[in-house]
Amino acid sequence: MGSQKRIAKELAELVESPPAGITVNLADEANLYEWKVLMDGPEGSPYHKGKFQIKLVLPTEYPFKPPTVSFATKIYHPNVTNDDKGSMCLGMLRPDEWKPSSKIGAVLEFARQLLSEPMPDDAIEGRIAEQYKNDRKHFDEVARDWTRKHAS
Amino acid sequence: MASNLPAQPNLRVTIIAADGLYKRDLLRFPDPFAVATVGGEQTHTTSVIKKTLNPYWNEPFDLKVNEDSILAIQIFDQKKFKKKDQGFLGVINVRIGDVIDLQMGGDEMLTRDLKKSNDNLVVHGKLIINLSTNLDAPHPNQQNGLRPQQAQSSTSSGLVPQIAAPSSQSQAGPSHLDNSPAPAASSSSLNNRASTSGPPPPANGAAPPGVGAASRANLSSFEDSQGRLPAGWERREDNLGRTYYVDHNTRTTTWSRPSANYNEQSSRNERAANMQLERRAHQSRMLPEDRTGASSPNLPEGQSTPPPGAPPPAAPAAGGTAPGSHANAVSMMATGATTAGTGELPPGWEQRSTPEGRAYFVDHNTRTTTWVDPRRQQYIRMYGQNQNQGGNNTTIQQQPVSQLGPLPSGWEMRLTNTARVYFVDHNTKTTTWDDPRLPSSLDQGVPQYKRDFRRKLIYFRSQPALRIMSGQCHVKVRRNNIFEDSYAEIMRQSASDLKKRLMIKFDGEDGLDYGGLSREFFFLLSHEMFNPFYCLFEYSAHDNYTLQINPHSGVNPEHLNYFKFIGRVVGLAIFHRRFLDSFFIGAFYKMMLRKKVTLQDMEGVDEDLHRNLAWTLDNDIEGIVELTFSVDDEKFGERRTIDLIPGGEEINVTNENKPQYIELVTEWKIVKRVEEQFNAFMSGFNELIPADLVNVFDERELELLIGGIADIDVDDWKKHTDYRGYQEQDEVIQNFWKIVRTWDAEQKSRLLQFTTGTSRIPVNGFKDLQGSDGPRRFTIEKSGDPAALPKSHTCFNRLDLPPYKTHDALEHKMSIAVEETLGFGQE
Repeated sequence: MGSQKRIAKELAELVESPPAGITVNLADEANLYEWKVLMDGPEGSPYHKGKFQIKLVLPTEYPFKPPTVSFATKIYHPNVTNDDKGSMCLGMLRPDEWKPSSKIGAVLEFARQLLSEPMPDDAIEGRIAEQYKNDRKHFDEVARDWTRKHAS
Repeated sequence: MASNLPAQPNLRVTIIAADGLYKRDLLRFPDPFAVATVGGEQTHTTSVIKKTLNPYWNEPFDLKVNEDSILAIQIFDQKKFKKKDQGFLGVINVRIGDVIDLQMGGDEMLTRDLKKSNDNLVVHGKLIINLSTNLDAPHPNQQNGLRPQQAQSSTSSGLVPQIAAPSSQSQAGPSHLDNSPAPAASSSSLNNRASTSGPPPPANGAAPPGVGAASRANLSSFEDSQGRLPAGWERREDNLGRTYYVDHNTRTTTWSRPSANYNEQSSRNERAANMQLERRAHQSRMLPEDRTGASSPNLPEGQSTPPPGAPPPAAPAAGGTAPGSHANAVSMMATGATTAGTGELPPGWEQRSTPEGRAYFVDHNTRTTTWVDPRRQQYIRMYGQNQNQGGNNTTIQQQPVSQLGPLPSGWEMRLTNTARVYFVDHNTKTTTWDDPRLPSSLDQGVPQYKRDFRRKLIYFRSQPALRIMSGQCHVKVRRNNIFEDSYAEIMRQSASDLKKRLMIKFDGEDGLDYGGLSREFFFLLSHEMFNPFYCLFEYSAHDNYTLQINPHSGVNPEHLNYFKFIGRVVGLAIFHRRFLDSFFIGAFYKMMLRKKVTLQDMEGVDEDLHRNLAWTLDNDIEGIVELTFSVDDEKFGERRTIDLIPGGEEINVTNENKPQYIELVTEWKIVKRVEEQFNAFMSGFNELIPADLVNVFDERELELLIGGIADIDVDDWKKHTDYRGYQEQDEVIQNFWKIVRTWDAEQKSRLLQFTTGTSRIPVNGFKDLQGSDGPRRFTIEKSGDPAALPKSHTCFNRLDLPPYKTHDALEHKMSIAVEETLGFGQE
């Protein structure tokens, strides 16, 4: 949708002054539409000290359609699909809530915020959400365990 | 080599499936089978799977191998095995030592891309095999249900819908997670894998919800979280990521998963029953001006006394069902004529009765049937006179319009610049909307727009370009090969041949086409040629069944010829007054009328995009939404940037020029992207229906012209309606349904168009009504000021109905709302 300039600019901004705990790169220098993002697990969360690799893909209709965000690093989280896709799709990332004025930086900050504060009421993994709500101790344990195994 | 091999087989190779094989022929799918060899020896062959690009074999072979052995598996099309290239579909070569340790033992699932051979024929797709050193294990037939096979959930075959799905998205992450919902028994193997140590098994023994979703992502396209699909079925995702199912046995697609206790016979029965429902609905469609059109009775077998020399009449199987009460009701509505006339029938006419005892009339002159007694209607008698004029009776046969006869002396039929028909009486130098040939009572109390559509039809049908030419146009097809046969038959004839009386014959079936056969022909053909299976058309985002041109139809190198063919068929149906059982997105009809598409039309194509384009128009975008006058397009995995205007990539979109940008993006997305295909379609269409004639209709009328007007079951409609802010007992709602019941089929169809965007009714009735986001029942919401008109949200099948005080106010507003959308508001 004529968004190349915009994407290039967003990328430059994010490379120059990245949000806390986030590093962005292109997965392939020749392709503006696929980003490789490295995210530090936020302090105070069970993901702390983990480094999570995230794939962010921009659709051809960007910015009229939202980017897709998926965790390449396995993560135990109620809002991330527990499969080989590791997809995250809620809030501003949902096609019906996305606005053309939303920026990729905001998407990444939103994703990192979700690591600090999962949204169990809007969960994709219902069972993990139940555990998060009712048995936080075990949830934290498993999440920490996965972080240690997969994200360090 | 062979001498180094063990004496006994030591490796079990299971050839599980291939996925997304290359489609070498346009209309035929290969019958693939696989051949496994080790170092060119120990040949084993799988069975042949018929007509598929995604064969599933799951056949094990025990082989003797050492670590240097090369296992080769080739795939061929059995139908072409005797040809020079043997129908080669690809090969994989695997050095055993590279994939499995024979000493240690193991069990490996491999997914490999198929490779070309020396002759460089195009190949694509993947092959999935399993290698196991455990030869004692029972054949791993059932275990596969939840075994991860493939990271990709959609196939990569050459067939679109799924081609448009982002293909790069699903390959991230560890590709081999064990997602089986792990009962205790298998926990030992799971302990090896870190990923499963986390979640404790659920207490109730059901599969954990997360895991269910997880396994789907890992599964091949032949299975899902509920297990393996029935044989011949495949799971795919369309351009919007929606899952649908392809039945390669019957070349059909469906949104619902074939059930676990799927049984081929019962599903065949179900399909046949569904088809019959659709067929009946199709046969009862009509247009307001039709007197002998689609709603005319069929000639049941054994009742016909054909004129000497004519072939026997249509068998019921070929000609469809005899008119049931359904059809009767509709045609009564259409004709208003049921009482018998008196005196002798005109020459060549015969009176007969349906099995239900209803009288109808056969005109052997034109080989048509009608409910209308030719002695009763004045304009029918005029038809007889007309036939004698100038002796050119062949040119007017089967022309119900000509039943009206010529205009009285000194009268002329004309069109306004808005395409409304009016009449000039040169005798008195006056003009009128009323057709002087019609009994004046016919038009009284009928809404203006309705008269307009009927007038337009009358004008349209009366044009010389739409007259049937003398002679016959024979089209002979095989029922089970209707697409291919029709293509050959219809493309080989000239456009003027196609304007002769259409005589359809189904191979191996006796039957004379008195209407029933051609009705059946267009019914079957429309189901086939618009089937998304062929990648020529696809379902839109709006609801599950309106069609749009598939922008990736180019996977089929012959696609433009097929679009021309489809255009001819649509024209042919209109020309011969038959209906297609197909409905397009609203924008498609506008394109056929060469009208400009607007942002509003985007709603029916892609609701999310529409919303955000509208947002862009309504909000300050400068410095916020940075865009240039170009678009990015993805075709077959390759992205390109296309300028919307020359040098567009360098021109920024601003608050000032954004309306132009939105306009161009909309036009690109709906029109430009499929322009080639659409132009091919129109070139075929216009051979039968000239552009200036079809332009008398608006886009909604065109939908009715192509698809006919269905008889809508108001009870079913009401039963599957939801209310928001209203209750069913409310007076407004009661009045609403009262009014709908008094409306005729056309008015109901128009109301349905107004609220849902199409006059199509789901085959199983209103309970299956689909919105842009899945099933959406028809909904009436209390909204708006009683002084205003009702509004609709076609994406959600919703009618916003203000609480009108009286029955009359409601009826008035509803009529205007329906009329307004038809573009007559200005007049």
